[in-house]
Amino acid sequence: MTPVMAEDWLLEAELAPAVEGDPLAPLYAGAADGLLVLPFCPACGLALELEQRVCDGCATAGADWRPAEPRGTVHAVTVVHRLERGLVRAPGPYPVADVETAGGHRLVLTSVGPLPRPPAIGDAVTIGFRRLGGVAVPAFHPTNLVKRRTPDGRSRDAAAAEAYPGR
Amino acid sequence: MTARRPAVIGLGLTPMSVRPGGSAAELAARALHAALGDAGLAPTELEGLLVGSSQGVRPDRVGVALAAQAGLGDLRMLEHVEIKGATTVAMVRRAQLAIDTGEARTVACVFADAPLRAAGGAGSTYAHSGGNSGLRGLERASGVLGSVPTYALLAARWLAVTGGSPDDLGAVALAARAWARHNPDAVQRAPLDAKAYRASPMVSTPLRRLDCARPVNGAAAVVLGTDAAGSRHTPVRVIGSGRAHPVRRRRAGHESWFGGGRGAIEAALAEAGLSRADLDVLELYDPFTIVTLCLLEEYGLCEPGEAGPLARSGALAPGGALPTNTGGGQLSGFYLQGMTPLVEAVIQLRGDGGDRQVPGARTALVGGIGGRIDHHACLVLEAA
Repeated sequence: MTPVMAEDWLLEAELAPAVEGDPLAPLYAGAADGLLVLPFCPACGLALELEQRVCDGCATAGADWRPAEPRGTVHAVTVVHRLERGLVRAPGPYPVADVETAGGHRLVLTSVGPLPRPPAIGDAVTIGFRRLGGVAVPAFHPTNLVKRRTPDGRSRDAAAAEAYPGR
Repeated sequence: MTARRPAVIGLGLTPMSVRPGGSAAELAARALHAALGDAGLAPTELEGLLVGSSQGVRPDRVGVALAAQAGLGDLRMLEHVEIKGATTVAMVRRAQLAIDTGEARTVACVFADAPLRAAGGAGSTYAHSGGNSGLRGLERASGVLGSVPTYALLAARWLAVTGGSPDDLGAVALAARAWARHNPDAVQRAPLDAKAYRASPMVSTPLRRLDCARPVNGAAAVVLGTDAAGSRHTPVRVIGSGRAHPVRRRRAGHESWFGGGRGAIEAALAEAGLSRADLDVLELYDPFTIVTLCLLEEYGLCEPGEAGPLARSGALAPGGALPTNTGGGQLSGFYLQGMTPLVEAVIQLRGDGGDRQVPGARTALVGGIGGRIDHHACLVLEAA
């Protein structure tokens, strides 16, 4: 039996990010394993921007891509009403938020699935993943809508503590 | 020091088309020759050419090949300048310095764009551009198609931080339209009221269609020199220029979307020896209504938190105390990136504004931004 790839709720697969050789390849590799992997300065630990390669705090070159806590708050949010034909699959408006992660990164993401209402600036969100054309892409859920248990029954906090022992 | 300061001595525009037609190179060549004619110069008298093109993946963007395409002769200076939307101001500065140092005596600056295609509208052209790699690839995979969603995030954040309301955006759209009604080059001249604004379709909250510039296929060119003998127009001197390139860190503790541009206007005013109160007209880059509000505050042209109330008071509109984007800007006039505010400043300082002329306008601020308000470039111009 051929496995059928589930389609994304929002976009057509042609918008899937490049993964091979992409500057964000470690992010997508982590996402495929269900981890939010983001770049930090290897020397001082500052949260780097996704394409930043030299730390603006201590001038150390390189980026240490490692799992980060998948929680954050909304810095800015919009609801996109323009549904570009040929690119957007969703039948109605969709949210896009600039999410500040607990570790200090900012990521512009949509939601994991359709939402009854968009989050507001300052709302807590949890970061999960959508699959777009076979690529796992980070996305947010409003924290109050997230089930508190992982599939194996552990609390999400316990699973997070295991995944990010540094925190 | 030269005895006479570099000035805009020629201006050329193509018709601004909201329908497909014309390649960027064809449009650029037409605007360039119109500007040379306006300056009273033969093409062989042009010594320098600076070319600005729309960024992105358009296959037909103009570049240094324009010199050959436009039938020019040998040049002493030829460059493709690129700092996104701030390019026009950078070209004018480059031309001014080239003339001051004797590198070239006459320099043309040209910008052309042709985003409208038979295959789809401009919004669609932008939505399909950007590729799928790097940060932009992740954003596009998250539904950030075209530039409206990013400016919508900026608008949402700015309104939240400053306590503004979507009505402030509407007031900017109405002021721009009120000016555009008297600009024959403007592509949107029908009367607009608050009710019609609020009925405009939402594109990406809080930005409605009428909060967004209307892209055109078109081109504009200016010629700078010190000898205006061949021109029947008042020369428009470049008396101040400034830039700011804030490396805004999109991380905790910083604003993602605005801040850091003040240095551009400070430097331009200092070079001109003027203060903000001396500026007769403000011509600001306004791809979205939010940008007008943001730049008024960022450039210190009003008190913090006052841009929205100022717009609602009518101060930006015809007859107001702070005439802003007096040709309708990019919103209702035409979207030729940094050329839009420059062209209108030249028209006003020549006194050629017709029914939209600001009486006694002698000085103008031209503000250009690039990227997501990442690059700022300002000019102060003065009627000779």
